[in-house]
Amino acid sequence: MDQTNRPALPIRDVSGRVSLIFMVTLAAALLLLGRAETYVVDRARQVVTDLAAPLLELASRPVSAARRVVESTDQYAYVFDENERLREENARLLAWKEAALKLEAKVARFEALLNVQVDPSIGYVTGRVVGDSGGPFVETIIANVGSNQDVESGQAVIDSDGLIGRIVATGPDASRILLLTDLNSRVPIVVEPSQTRAVLAGDNSVWPRLEFLPALAPISVGDRVVTSGDGGLLPPGLPIGTLVETADGFLRVQTFSDRSRLDMIRVLQYEFPREIDVQDAPTALQPVASESEGPAPSASTSAPAPTAEATAAEGGT
Amino acid sequence: MLPFLAGFLCMLLSFVPFSRIFGAEIAPAFGLIAVYYWAVQRPDVFPPYGVFAIGLFYDLLSAGPLGLWALVYLIVFGLVVSQRQLMIGRTFSLFWLGFLVSSVIAGFLGWLLASLYFGQILSPAPVLVQMAATVALFPLFAKLFEQLLQRLLVQG
Repeated sequence: MDQTNRPALPIRDVSGRVSLIFMVTLAAALLLLGRAETYVVDRARQVVTDLAAPLLELASRPVSAARRVVESTDQYAYVFDENERLREENARLLAWKEAALKLEAKVARFEALLNVQVDPSIGYVTGRVVGDSGGPFVETIIANVGSNQDVESGQAVIDSDGLIGRIVATGPDASRILLLTDLNSRVPIVVEPSQTRAVLAGDNSVWPRLEFLPALAPISVGDRVVTSGDGGLLPPGLPIGTLVETADGFLRVQTFSDRSRLDMIRVLQYEFPREIDVQDAPTALQPVASESEGPAPSASTSAPAPTAEATAAEGGT
Repeated sequence: MLPFLAGFLCMLLSFVPFSRIFGAEIAPAFGLIAVYYWAVQRPDVFPPYGVFAIGLFYDLLSAGPLGLWALVYLIVFGLVVSQRQLMIGRTFSLFWLGFLVSSVIAGFLGWLLASLYFGQILSPAPVLVQMAATVALFPLFAKLFEQLLQRLLVQG
């Protein structure tokens, strides 16, 4: 840096340089501290996101409107082709509908026969994407629903096509969604129809890859990928995408939802049934107390009070 | 204060999902345009802590590594301020070329730091796309800032 031909005042220049060096040091220190992902950092992110959400909401409205205009002109241009395609698809779907109805009846009969416990129904809240990820190294988006709508971290987020990601941070009126394509996204999945279990791992590219695949897994291009529900965070059976083969011969996943066209999203409020009742041993097998004489009453219908071990086990679940 | 606000608004613009209109994934780094423009024209009205603040808010909103873009913007700011004699009062195309060089430096630095941060070689494609879009949109923002600069000159 030459100081000879600077138009700025020398005093100001020196102070400016000191302040610049100080700020660079501060930024570098933050970068090192941020590796630890402390609570303060997370909190700051949430607060800033929450403050910016209303502004982004305002700004994203005209964007949504413009998008609808573009889409409708697109639709006008291709209306005949689209109509033809929809007719064909409709014919195909009618056949599927027949098959589905038959299967539904069959499954209902089997479930009744086998006394299957049906999964609890899943509540949801619908919101809109108001903010893009902005940064080139992060695949997260901001939606306009938050803890005021009972949105919590870890909940699955879907759009009309399938799973797009999950909530990673919430404020009162805004939340951040980690997309499946993000570097930090890991989702337990099942590849149908072979029921091969694996983990879907994002790496900031368009197609997330599969990890922990069993060797010689019988899977091939075009297989459907759905969530497995392992771990109890995400509901099982949410559609994610299909397997595609990349140019270098690896299998990756093409998601059903188009990341660049996200607009309305739905947050699933799935609660895994974790409260499992502790079952006591039959009274005949209960340890006999020392002061009681004679055999324990075998015909007692009332459940005995839980023993100390049972309560401990209950606390442990 | 006005230039800083302009820069801050530019930073927020990066998060508006414009790309959804065309179905492409580009979020230009508008904040960098503001940093570069004021570093060349009037570094005295845009202090380093302003640059730091814009970078930091960008990091917080994008949920990326905290301090990454703050650091990159500050380094670019320092470089541009030291070389501003080359560009001041020259043709606009040279001004634009300077921004191209700055974007390349910023993109490379950002990519390098992020790769170190995450401990793996990241794909440089998203950064390249982002910086290309930013360079392409530079003249538009330069025109807007010019209006602001005129106003500043009138005020003194």
